[in-house]
Amino acid sequence: MLEYVFILPLLSFAVAGVILAFGKWLPGRGASAGIAVAAWGFAQAAILFTKAIQGKLALPYEVSIPWFSVGSTQATLGVYVDGLTIAMLVVVTAVSLLVQIYSIGYMRGDPRFKRYYAYLSLFTASMLGLTISDNMLVFFMCWELVGVCSYLLIGFWFEKPSAAYAGKKAFITTKLGDLGFLVGLLSLFYCTGTFRISEILELAHIGFIPPAAAGAAAILLFLGAVGKSAQFPLLIWLPDAMEGPSPVSALIHAATMVAAGVYMVARLYAVYALSPVALDTVAWTGAITALTAASMALVCFDLKRVLAFSTVSQLGYMMLGLGAGGFTAGMFHLTTHAYFKALLFLAAGSVIHAVHTNDMREMGGLKNKMPVTYITFLLGALALVGIPPFAGFFSKDAVLAAALARNPYLYAVGAVAAAMTAFYMARALVMTFHGEPKDMKKYDHAHESPPVMTGPLILLAAASVVSGWALSRHEIFERLVNFEGVLPFELHHVSHGAVALYAGTVAVLSMGLGAWLYKSKPGIPAMLRGKFAPVAGLLDRRYGLDAFFLKFVALGDRLSSVLFIFDLNFLDAIAIDGWAWLTEKLSRIQRWFDDNVVDAAVDATGTVTLCAGRLARLAQTGIVQNYLLFIAVAVSVFAALAFAG
Amino acid sequence: MSLLSLIVFAPLAGALLILAIPNTRTKAIQGVAAASSAVCMIFSGYLYYAFDKSTAAMQFIEKVSWIPAFNISYHLGVDGLSVTIVALTALLTLVSIIYSFNITLRVKEFFFWFLLLEVGMLGVFVSLDLFLFYVFWELTLVPMYFLIGVWGGPQKEYAAIKFFVYTLFGSLVMLLGILALYFNSAPHTFDMLELARQSSLFPLNFQIWVFLALYLGFAIKIPAFPFHTWLPLAHVEAPTGVSVLLAGILLKMGIYGLLRVSFPVLPLAAKWFMPFFIVIAVINIIYGALVAMAQKDLKKMVAYSSINHMGYCMLGMAAMTTIGFNGAVLQMVTHGLITGSLFLLVGVIYDRAHTRDIDAFGGLGARFPIFAGLMTIQVMASLGLPGLAGFVSEFLCFLGAFEAWPYYVAASAIGILVTAAFFLRMIEKVFLGPFNEKWAGLPDMNLRELVAIVPLAVLTLVIGLWPRFCLDLIDPTITYLVGIVNR
Repeated sequence: MLEYVFILPLLSFAVAGVILAFGKWLPGRGASAGIAVAAWGFAQAAILFTKAIQGKLALPYEVSIPWFSVGSTQATLGVYVDGLTIAMLVVVTAVSLLVQIYSIGYMRGDPRFKRYYAYLSLFTASMLGLTISDNMLVFFMCWELVGVCSYLLIGFWFEKPSAAYAGKKAFITTKLGDLGFLVGLLSLFYCTGTFRISEILELAHIGFIPPAAAGAAAILLFLGAVGKSAQFPLLIWLPDAMEGPSPVSALIHAATMVAAGVYMVARLYAVYALSPVALDTVAWTGAITALTAASMALVCFDLKRVLAFSTVSQLGYMMLGLGAGGFTAGMFHLTTHAYFKALLFLAAGSVIHAVHTNDMREMGGLKNKMPVTYITFLLGALALVGIPPFAGFFSKDAVLAAALARNPYLYAVGAVAAAMTAFYMARALVMTFHGEPKDMKKYDHAHESPPVMTGPLILLAAASVVSGWALSRHEIFERLVNFEGVLPFELHHVSHGAVALYAGTVAVLSMGLGAWLYKSKPGIPAMLRGKFAPVAGLLDRRYGLDAFFLKFVALGDRLSSVLFIFDLNFLDAIAIDGWAWLTEKLSRIQRWFDDNVVDAAVDATGTVTLCAGRLARLAQTGIVQNYLLFIAVAVSVFAALAFAG
Repeated sequence: MSLLSLIVFAPLAGALLILAIPNTRTKAIQGVAAASSAVCMIFSGYLYYAFDKSTAAMQFIEKVSWIPAFNISYHLGVDGLSVTIVALTALLTLVSIIYSFNITLRVKEFFFWFLLLEVGMLGVFVSLDLFLFYVFWELTLVPMYFLIGVWGGPQKEYAAIKFFVYTLFGSLVMLLGILALYFNSAPHTFDMLELARQSSLFPLNFQIWVFLALYLGFAIKIPAFPFHTWLPLAHVEAPTGVSVLLAGILLKMGIYGLLRVSFPVLPLAAKWFMPFFIVIAVINIIYGALVAMAQKDLKKMVAYSSINHMGYCMLGMAAMTTIGFNGAVLQMVTHGLITGSLFLLVGVIYDRAHTRDIDAFGGLGARFPIFAGLMTIQVMASLGLPGLAGFVSEFLCFLGAFEAWPYYVAASAIGILVTAAFFLRMIEKVFLGPFNEKWAGLPDMNLRELVAIVPLAVLTLVIGLWPRFCLDLIDPTITYLVGIVNR
C-alpha cells in the first residue's frame, strides 16, 4: 500500500504530458485522463486514511533513492508518510478530483481546454510531490512548481491584461517570500547537514539544533509560507489571483497550494517548537492576517474576492493555531476549510457561470433560479462561519481554544475576526441569492448549472457538513495528526465548552445581524459606508499594502535605470572608452614625439654624418703630391714629439 | 587513439574544405560546415560516453613534444572539469551552424570563421600546456572579430574592435602571468599539471601578482564586474549564432581558466582573493539583474542576464567547497544551454519582426504557441525553476557558498527576485495580453529553428530532472580539485 504512494505524483505528472501531447484524441479532450488519474489518487488516499485511523499502517513510512551527489552531500528522491501526510493527501486528491469533474462543465468550449487539464494535472503532481516528499530540497522544488502552475492558471485567460498582470503579481510576490525560504533552507542544512525531513525532525527532537539557529531558520522558512499562504503583508496577490477560472481558485487558491505554507510549518513543527520566538511569529502573523483580511472582505463587492479575503483570513487562523501550539487544531482547520472553501468557490463559479459577472451588486434573488447552488453555498457559508454543527465550528473552535490557551490577546484577535467572518458571509449570501434581482437581464439569463458542476457541489457540501463532526469523533483526526514533541511554553487550561459556546453565539449573532442588515435594511450599510468613507476607502485599498509594494517596485525600476545609465555612461563610456580615447591621444603625442624628437634626432645624426663626410672629403684630393706632403708633415710632427718626449 | 585531436581538428578540416568550395555553392558550404561540426559532436558524444566517471585523473591524454627548447608540448587531456564543456561546445556550435543556414552574406567566409572559432574554443578546454592553451585562447579572438565585424548589427565595427582590443588587453596581461609561472618553475615548464604540483613552491606574494594578472584575462572573459561592458555590445551586435557561442562558450573560458589554472596553481592567492571575489560575485548577480531589468531590447536583456548568471558561477567558486565548485561547473553547462537557446529564440522573433523591442509585441502567446512555449520554458529555466537545469546548478552554488558567506548569499538571493521580475515582465509584454494585429502574418517556428532549439530544451529538462547526467562526471574531479586547492 504505502510502497505505491510514490506513483501518485509521477502518474499525475505523466498524464499532464499525455494530455498536452495527445489530448486531442482522448475522450473529453484529455479531461477523462486527468479525472481517471485523480480518481485513482483519491481512492489510494482514502484507503490509506482508513487504514491509518484503524492503526493498520506502520507510520512513519520512509523510502528514498539517491538523486545526485556532490562530494559527500547526497540529494535524494523519496517518500515520507505519516499521519500529517495522509491528512494532506486526502485533501489534495479529493479537491483535485472534484474540481476536475466540475471543470468539464465550467470550461466547456474553452479554446485551450486541453491545456487547462494539462496544467491542472501538472499542479496536482507538484502538490502531491510536495505532500509526500521525504526531503526539504524536493519539497522546495515542488513548492516552486506549484507556484508556476498557479502563475499559468491565474493567467490562463491571458488575453485579458488584468489576468496576465495578476499571474505575474502572484509569482513575484510569492517569490519574494521564497527568498526567505531559500535562505532558511540553506541555514537549516548547515544546522543539520541534511535535507531529509525525518533526520531534521530527529535532530530537532534530541535538541541537536541550537534553539537560536532553529528559530532563525524557522522564521526564514516561514517567510516562504507568508508568501505562499498569503499572510500579512504579502497577502496582496491572492485577491488578484481571482482572475483565474473559478475551479482553479477552488483548488489552488483555497484548498491546496495556499495551504502549503501551513503544511510546511506543520511538517517542520519540531524545528519551530524549539523556538518560542518562531512560534510567536507564526501565531501573531496568523492573527493579524486573520483580522486584516476579514476586515477587507467587509467592504468588497466582488463575490470571488470576498471569498479570497476569507481564504486569507482562514489561512491566518491555521497559522494562529499552529503558532499557538495547537498543532492538531491548525491542521484540522486546514482540512475542513479545504472542503467548505472549495465548495464556496465552486458555487461562486456556478453563479458567475450563470450571470457572467463577479459583482454582487448586479446579482440578487438567485436562490430561486439556482436552488442547488444556493443550498450548497449556504451550507458552505454556515461551515465557514462556524455555526454548530457544521465543519468550521469544530475546527475554528479548536484554533480559538489553542489561541486562548497560549495568550488571551491572540484569542481576542481571532474572536473579532470570527465575528467579521460571520458578517461578511451573511452579506455575500444575501447580496447574491436573496432580495430582488438588481440586473434583470443577467437574472433572466441565469440558470442552474449542469449536473457535472452541481454534483461536486453536493459532495463538497456533504463534506462541509459532516467532516468536522466526523473527524473529531473519537478524536480520529487528533490521533492521526498530532505533535509528540515538547512545546517551548506552558499552556493555560482552557474550557473547550466555554470557547465553543462563545464562538457559536458570536457566529450566530453576527451572521444574523449581517443578514438582517443587508436583507431588511440595505440603507444602513450604505449609510455607514458613506459616514465612514475613509475607513471603507482604507479597506478597499487593502490598507495601502498594494501601493506600498508598488512603490517598492517603482524604486527597483528607478534603481535599475540609474544603474543602466551608470553602466553605459560611466563604466563603459568613461572608464573603458575613455581609456581608449586617452590611449589614442597618448599615441598621437607619441607620434608627434616620434616625428619631432626621435625621428628628428635620427635625421640629425644623418645630417651630421653627411656634413662630416663632406668635410672629410675635402682632404681626399686625389693628388699624390698632397698626400706626400701630409706624410712628411705628419712624420716630422711625430718625430718632434718623440724627441721632445 | 587520439580522440581529442580528432575532436579539436575535425572543424579545422571542415574549414579548410570550405575554402576549396566555390562561393556560389551555398548548399555545399553549409553541408560541409554542418557535417564537420556534426563529426566533432559525434566524437564528443563518444568522449562523453567513454569518459571514466570513477577517476579524477586526466583522461585521453595526448602528449607530444612541440618546442623542446622551451619545454613546450602538445599536451591534451580531459577530466570532469572539461569534458562536459567540450560536449557543450560541440553541441552549441552544431546547433548554431544549423541555425545560421539563414545567413546569406558571404556564406563561405562565415562558416570558415565559425569552424575556426570552434577549433579555438575546443582547444582551450582540452589543452594541458599553458602555452598551447594561450595559443588556442588567442585563436578564438580573430574569428570572433570578423564574425561580429562583418555579419553583425548596425554598430558591428565598433563592437568588434571593442571586443577584440578589450579581450586582447586582458589576454596579454594573462600572458605575462603565464610567463612568470614558466620562469619561476623548476624545471621551467608550461605544463598545467606540473605547475599545480609545484604550487607549494610559489611564495604568497608571487602567487598574488600572478593570480591578479591571470584574473584580469579571465575576468574580462567571464565577464566580472567592472570588466563586463564589452559584453552587451558584442552580444547584441553579433549575429544570432555567434551570440550563442559568445554567451554559451566564450564566457565559460574565464570560469574554466580560473578553475583549471588559477585555483590549483595558485591556491594561496586564491584564498587571499576570495573576500574580494565574493563581493564581485554578488555585484555581478544583483547589478547584472538590475541592469537587465532596465532593458527594452530583448537581446540586451538576455545579454545582461548572462552577467547575472555568471555571478552565480563565481558565487559557487567563492567558498572553495565541493558543492560550490560542482555548482559552478554545472552552472556553466546549464547557462550555456539555457542562454544559448534564449539567444536563438530571440533570433527567431527578430528574423520575423525585424525588431527586438519588448514593447513592440503583445499577445503572441495565442498565435505562436510553439515559440511561446519554448521561450517560456527557457525563461523559466533561466530564472531557476525546479525541474529545469538552471535550478540545480544555482542551488548548488548557493548551497556551496552559504557556510562561508551566509550574508553575501542572502543578499544575492535578491538577484533571483529581480531576474524573475524582468523575465516575467518580458513574457507579459511579448506573449500575453491582447494580440497585436501588426504581427498577424508571421509564421510560427520553422523546422530549421526547431532542429536548433529543441535539443537544447530537451537537455534543459533532462539535466533538471536528472542532474547526474552531468554531475557524475564532474564530481570526482571537483572533489579532487577542492582537495588540492585547500591543501
